[in-house]
Amino acid sequence: MRLTRIPCLPLLTLALAAGLLTTPLAHAQPKPVKVGVLKLTSSAPIFVGVEKGFFKEAGVEPELIYFQAAAPIATALAAGQLEVGATGLTAALYNIVLGGEKLWIVADKGREWPGYPLVAIVVQKELWDGGLRSIKDLKGRRIGVTQLGSTFHYHIGNVLEKDGLHLSDVKIVPLQAMPATMEALKGKQVDAILVPQPFPGAAEAQGFGKIMAWAGDLYPWQIAAIFYSDKLATDRARAVAFMKGYVKASRYYFDAALVQKDGRTVPGANYEEVVEITARYTGARPENIKLGFPFQDRNGRLLVPDIERQMSWWVANGFMKKALPLKSIVDTSFVEEAVKALDR
Amino acid sequence: MTVERLVVADRTAFLRRPDYRTVRVLALLGLAVLWEAVTRTGWVSALFLPSPSGVLAEGLDMVRSGQLFVHLWTSLARLAWGFGIGAAAGISVGVAVGFFSLADAVVQPIIAATFPIPKIALLPLLILWLGIGEASKVAVVALGVFFPMAINTYAGVRQADPLLIRAAVSFGAGPWSVILKVILLSALPMVFAGLKLGAGIALLLLVAAEQIAADAGIGFLILQSGNLMETTKLMVGIVVLSLLGVLSHWALGGLERAVIRWRHT
Repeated sequence: MRLTRIPCLPLLTLALAAGLLTTPLAHAQPKPVKVGVLKLTSSAPIFVGVEKGFFKEAGVEPELIYFQAAAPIATALAAGQLEVGATGLTAALYNIVLGGEKLWIVADKGREWPGYPLVAIVVQKELWDGGLRSIKDLKGRRIGVTQLGSTFHYHIGNVLEKDGLHLSDVKIVPLQAMPATMEALKGKQVDAILVPQPFPGAAEAQGFGKIMAWAGDLYPWQIAAIFYSDKLATDRARAVAFMKGYVKASRYYFDAALVQKDGRTVPGANYEEVVEITARYTGARPENIKLGFPFQDRNGRLLVPDIERQMSWWVANGFMKKALPLKSIVDTSFVEEAVKALDR
Repeated sequence: MTVERLVVADRTAFLRRPDYRTVRVLALLGLAVLWEAVTRTGWVSALFLPSPSGVLAEGLDMVRSGQLFVHLWTSLARLAWGFGIGAAAGISVGVAVGFFSLADAVVQPIIAATFPIPKIALLPLLILWLGIGEASKVAVVALGVFFPMAINTYAGVRQADPLLIRAAVSFGAGPWSVILKVILLSALPMVFAGLKLGAGIALLLLVAAEQIAADAGIGFLILQSGNLMETTKLMVGIVVLSLLGVLSHWALGGLERAVIRWRHT
């Protein structure tokens, strides 16, 4: 459930322990799972699962812990402070596994996909008016991202390569936080930035930026995933239970918000409900949420070959020492078992 | 003739502080060995605390590939400019304020008002004024060095021993001679104390400045390695910083001994 601060925790624990001793039904209690998430639209399936009780139904009770950036979630997972991470695939995550810690990429949690606006390449309005219109025009320009090794860094690198350029043809400026990248574009310290919704819309509304392209239209990829700590992965029953809740939530989310016809989103029956839940959990306004939900597989299945592609790109560009064998970092058995159980 | 020798016990012996040189080295080595042992036994994961041998190997790798020098030279260039500009400005202002009461009246309150501002808080403003490039990074280092230099030089100039000045005058020294040969020279120890303070501050600010919108430098190396969870590289950066700090202190100490030859401490 939602994370709430309880001031009299010791008392409550005592009461709970007493309750456990006296209630024979205690074993039917859903088991707690610590989940690290970002307050972004892309965490919607998790929020929906919690709110609609899909996780509880499957026998687990997620405790949501909110983070500010993707990389710290991976670190907390490796340090054993979290059991599930739901966030972007960064170089840091791969380097953690390379450094000898174990964690598992188990399910889809969002893809950059054509027709689903998520991350945009936003350029200075003046430069746009001056004729900077295509990726090729970015040659020699300063491009602001949050961090090196971030999903944005990966994305711009691949978009450039698709147009025959290379990462070294531009100057990547790491600015640490999304608001800082917006400020840098506004202050003309950089020529273009990569930011996720709702920032691109805000840049256009304020008049200092112009959306050049939605990055997913140029280069689709598996941007985010669900990760399990090694401890959870070995606790098979709890791991599968969490996945059952997640796949159910993922289907609910997909049917409500992702179905498209002729390039336009067809809101499902529960669209407004999903928007409301996401708005409440992220603290964003519903009209901003409606700007777009990120695409993900209806059953939460990963694009496994893309994980391999990502690792070889990081290696080729010097952000990872060597690629990991897929079977040491990806485990799709949880999602397959959950899908099978749900379809039975 | 026999000289009578009287043996007197040194009753201040308990205040004597022998110099345990070997212990100094052993303490550092001991720390490294303990650190290595902790990581070898696997109590702490290598990801969270890389072993000294791992850090050394990574450092050598980075030296071989030349990567370390790119960062080092970039940082040293910024340090040299920032430190040079800050120290020169600080000494000039300190001397002027120390000599001329008009300058004192003008500058003292301004320094008093601006000195307490943590210079790192000015970095966003400096970036707005000077852009993301080198200028803002050099400026923040220069600002950090300026204040201890100005304040120390001023104190040094004001503290010139009046007895020495009178002695010089009575030997027939003119005003310029007194200023150059007595007052400025006697301010030198304070100036060097300021330089040492400034060097530490410069390193601190440089690393902070390099963590914003840089693409090379030791601070950048540390930040990037942290972002990428390459903790061994991160440690290499920290070790280099520690070495830079020790080296600058040692070099300034050597310079001080060479310049202030009359001082035997």
